[in-house]
This record gives sequence, structure tokens and C-alpha cells, in this order.
Amino acid sequence: MRPAIAALVVGLVALVLLAGLIALPEPGAPDSPAQRHVSAEYIDGGSQAGGAANLVTAVLLNYRGLDTFGEVLVIFSALVAVLVVLASAPQTGSAQPAQRLAPSPVVAFIVRLMAPFMAAFAAFVMISGAHLPGGGFQGGVVLGAMTILLAVAMGRDRVARMLRGGARFWVRAAAPLVFALVALIGWASTGWWFGLPGPGPFRDALVLALDIAIGVGGAAVLAGIFLALSRE
Amino acid sequence: MDALLAHLDYVAVTIVFCTGLYILLVRQNLLKKLIGLNIMETAVFAFIVTTGMVDDGDPPLLTGELGPLFASPLPHALVLTGIVVAVSVTSLALALIVRVHREHGTIELDELLDRDGR
Repeated sequence: MRPAIAALVVGLVALVLLAGLIALPEPGAPDSPAQRHVSAEYIDGGSQAGGAANLVTAVLLNYRGLDTFGEVLVIFSALVAVLVVLASAPQTGSAQPAQRLAPSPVVAFIVRLMAPFMAAFAAFVMISGAHLPGGGFQGGVVLGAMTILLAVAMGRDRVARMLRGGARFWVRAAAPLVFALVALIGWASTGWWFGLPGPGPFRDALVLALDIAIGVGGAAVLAGIFLALSRE
Repeated sequence: MDALLAHLDYVAVTIVFCTGLYILLVRQNLLKKLIGLNIMETAVFAFIVTTGMVDDGDPPLLTGELGPLFASPLPHALVLTGIVVAVSVTSLALALIVRVHREHGTIELDELLDRDGR
């Protein structure tokens, strides 16, 4: 599209958006609709019904467990789709492997030095997600970023070899599988899909298992997408 | 004007959104179009998180001291879902771009359209 026409379109969109947005309550107002209705219910219900002291985790893992199940399925499907799109293509003559530049020894050393600390931080974010800011997705992103950094610093082949065939498949599918399992456990113990049992160690263990599964599975999926794309 | 100033956060979000939309419309390089889409997504996430904010509110954690005002946990949880979907869309689009480059040797949209004789 020509820049002038595009600028006109964008300007019109901006006008419409602004006209709508300034009619909303001011950001930060305590009585805006976003703070009432459903949100107020969640805060009132608190940890009693929610399953975690961190209400964001409570919303994700219990109130909207089905949504989150869909979410881990979406990212798992993305990995499958990426692998399919890249695997089924015929190789044409122009596709020769790109010249791989080795990163400087300083970068490689620092990345390898920091990797255990990044992994420990990822584990902390995953495990403490029930009562502190954090959770499975955040920890998974840290762990996935660590894996990608290692792949850049040490070469993708060494990282790809860390997990072999069967184990790699199960780790990548960890999040949807554990979610399905917890949904069944909830159905068996409370009669509701994704229902969590009453407060106690059993419920804490289920929330922890969900967080760790989301984190490890998410990290494996992110790393898998990166490894598939970087093969080009 | 006062209304604009009171909603300064939303004005900033609109500017970021329109920047992304402009890049998406004007750039011919598919990778740059994807970056434009990501900028638009970021603006939407910032908007949703902003709606959940409360002035002087506490984070929605039930462990510490509880003040009278809480930030709403719902927008944060929904944005997490949105980010995951955005990552999935980005990775699939990247894979498709790689595939287009492999089959046609270019990721410039105008060159791809020219080749089709349009």
C-alpha cells in the first residue's frame, strides 16, 4: 500500500480508537468496570475457592482452568505446525546452510556460567508462582530463553542432543498432558472438570504440578520452535 | 484536550498500535510486516493491563498486608493467554516465511506478486 494512503487509513483508525478510548473510565480509577463484576467476585472468593494466594495464578489454574488448557494446547499446536511446515518442504537448490558464526569466547563463557543461575531462577519463579508474582508461564519463558541462549552460544546441535527422541516428545507435550490429568483428578474428587480439592497439601501439590508442567513444557516448546527455525 | 490528558496511557497505547499498523500496511518485507503485527499486539496487551491497574492499589496477592484496593487479577490472566497466542502466531508466521523463502527465494511481497504476473 502506498505510504500516503496507509497514513490516511492509520490516521482514521487512530481517530476512531481515541474517540472510543477517551470515553472509557480513566486508567487507575477504582470503580471502573474492569474492577467490578467478575474481578470483584474473584477477589472475594479469594484463596478459598481459587486454589492459590496469587490471584492471577488462581484465575489461570482454577477459575479459568479450561481457558488455560486451551492455551497450552495452542502453543503445543504451534510447535507441531512449525515442525510440519518446515519438514514437508522440498529442498530447492538455493537452500544451502548459512555460514555459522561462532560467538566470541567471552559470550559463550558468560552464557555457560550464567545458565545454572537462570535455571534456578526459572525453577523459583515456577514453584513460588502460587503465592508470589510468577507462575508456570513466566518460569517457562525464563527456562526457554536459557535454552535458546545455550543453543546460540554452544551450537544448536549440542542443545538438540540434550533430549533424545522419546523423552523430547513427552517433555514437549508435558503441559497438555498434565492439564488433562489434573482435569480428570478434579472431576473424580469434586465432580467438576478442573475442580481443585479443598485447601490442603493435596491442592497445593496439584497447583505446583500444573505450574511446573506449564513451565517445563512451555520451555521445551519454545526451544523446539527455535531449534526448528534455526535449522535453516 | 483534558479528556486526552486524563487518558494519557490510552493515547500512548493508540500511538504504539498505529505505528504497528502503519508498518504492517506499508512494508513489503514479510518479516517487517510480522514485526508490525507484534507491535500492534504489544499495544493491545499494554491496554488490557492498564485497565486492570488501580491507583495506589496492591498487587492481588493474598499473602502480604491487604490494603483496601486491589489491582484486578483478571486482565493479567487474560493478557497471559494473549501473549501465548501471540507467540504461537509469530512462530507459525516465521515458519511460513522460511517456507516462502525456500520456495521462491524472496520474502518481498511486491516481488512475489510480480512473479505471479499480477
